[in-house]
Formats: sequence, structure tokens, C-alpha cells
Amino acid sequence: MKGVIKGALSEELNNSLRMKRRYAQELSKLAKWCLVRKKIKGHYYYYFAQRRNGKVLYRYQGRLLPIEVKKQKTLQAKRASYRESLRKLDRQVKFLRSALRGKQPV
Amino acid sequence: MENSQYKLCAEVLKRLDSSGVLKHLVLVGSWCIPFYREYFKDVEYVTSITTRDIDLFVPLPLGIKNKIDIEELLDGLGFVVDFKGSEGYISLNHPELILEFLVTERGAGLNKPYKLGQLGINAQPLRFLNLLTKKLINVKIKGIRINLPHPALFALHKIIVSDRRRKGDKKSKDLDAAIRVMRALIDKGEVDKLKFFFMGFTLKLRKKIINILKDNDQLDLAESFV
Repeated sequence: MKGVIKGALSEELNNSLRMKRRYAQELSKLAKWCLVRKKIKGHYYYYFAQRRNGKVLYRYQGRLLPIEVKKQKTLQAKRASYRESLRKLDRQVKFLRSALRGKQPV
Repeated sequence: MENSQYKLCAEVLKRLDSSGVLKHLVLVGSWCIPFYREYFKDVEYVTSITTRDIDLFVPLPLGIKNKIDIEELLDGLGFVVDFKGSEGYISLNHPELILEFLVTERGAGLNKPYKLGQLGINAQPLRFLNLLTKKLINVKIKGIRINLPHPALFALHKIIVSDRRRKGDKKSKDLDAAIRVMRALIDKGEVDKLKFFFMGFTLKLRKKIINILKDNDQLDLAESFV
């Protein structure tokens, strides 16, 4: 039988692994482009930018309504937050796995 | 408790409070243990280990008239919805916190999630949760008042559910939490409250509590009910 501490850590490890899968699923649903604004001859134009094979690709979007810009920025923030969560979960999994490596019940 | 975890918990409670949902919910589960610190501030009280899942008990019938979408309410905090187990209980997940909703299981049991349409979620029905709401206490967390079961009811409930645990470590964790809270209550001079709630239980449950305490070498606690 696992001890109380090991039991709790093991439960948390399973939670972290389950969450990692969910965050990866949610992240894959979000677009990989990020919105970039360029000022050309005094006017603002928007592009979707994405890094592919070391190169930054731009896709022209033209002038966008503020509501559309806000929507894109929210999605961008959501993607950044999910990526940060995935990084946190990776650190948790690493820590929990190393903490659970010991043989003795704690 | 980690600072970022505590901050996130406070933000979740703040949003639930401002939407008027929090006053209808009762925080149960292992997160009660650190929140009882305020109640036991005048005695020695050492908290035990808590996992990151916050269990919120929804007493039925729910007194909320207008529809409040919990998922929408927590938007922007980075929670993702997950469906747990083969039954599909909703849990809201964040690397720091997991929010789960519970209701009391009645009769023969549902074996499926209980739909809470007003909150846009479902809840897991569990036995004996109604015991926790016989007496509630109110504690302030970052200026927000939250409902918790009275510590005596929390401890007695933990003893009862420990017997239903299949995993040995969870059983030990429940018992450890119950014993800590019971000892703190005795130190606070609230043995009579412990006895009062104990006497409110059915004879079957009372016998069960005494037997579990005796089986786990807590004779002095078992005798405190006599």
C-alpha cells in the first residue's frame, strides 16, 4: 500500500497527465497564426503571422474592425495561456515522477 | 498552500461570489482543512495534505433563478473543461486547481451525472453529503465569505466515507484529516458539539464511526462520544 503522501502525489500525477492531454487537445483547436499590425503609408493593415521551417510567413488580412482585432487578441491570449499551462504541467509531471521514484512507502 | 494557487482560488471564489452563486454552494473536501485555520485560530491546528481538487457541494433544490454559466464565468483564467470517468462528470481543470461539483446521492443512486442546468454543468452524486449541511460555518477568505460544513460534521463525515474508500492511502488520508480536526475540536473545548452532531446520526452510522475509530487505535476519541 502507498503511504498518504505518495498516494496524494500519485493522484496528482494522474491529474497532471490527464490535464496535459486536455490542454494539448484544446491548443490544437486554436489557430496557430498570430495577428500582426503593420503601418503602411499612415494606414494600419493586419496580417496573420506564423513561423514555418524557420521562416515567418504573413497572410494579408487587410483592415480589420476593432471587434475582429479584439477577438483575435483574445484567442492569442488564450493560446499563450494554454501553452503556459502545458509548460507548468510538464514541470509538475517531471517533479512528481522524480518524487515517486523512491521505493519506500511515505 | 502555494501563493499562485491561493490567488487563483480567491479569484474563482470572487467570481462565484459576484455572480451570486457562492452563497448557494458549500465547500467540502480536503480544501476545508486549510480554511478551518480561522475557526481554530486559538488552538494548535496542523493542516494535513490537500490535493488541488476543490469540491463544491450544491445543495438541492438550487435556489438560483437565472442561468449562470460557470464555464463562462471563469473565462480568461485558463480553465479547460474535462469529462471524468466513463460517466462524464464535468471538472474544470487548471494546473493549479481542479473544480468539481457534487450533489447528494439519494435512493438507489443515479450512477450518472446530475444535470445542473442553471449552472451549465453537471455534478457527481455522492452518498452522505447531506450530513455535512446540518450546520454550516462561514469563513472569510480574502474578504469573501464562504460556506463550510461545521468541523465536527466534516470530521464525522470523513470517518464514515473512509470506510467506503477502496484505496488504502485515501482511507488513511481521510482518517488522518478527521482525527486532526477532532483533536482540534477537543482542544477548543467543543466535545459537546461533536457529541451533539454524533447523536444526530442514525444508530448504524454511530456504530460505524465508533468501530472505525477503535480499529484505528483512536480509543480515546471513540470514548469521547460515550
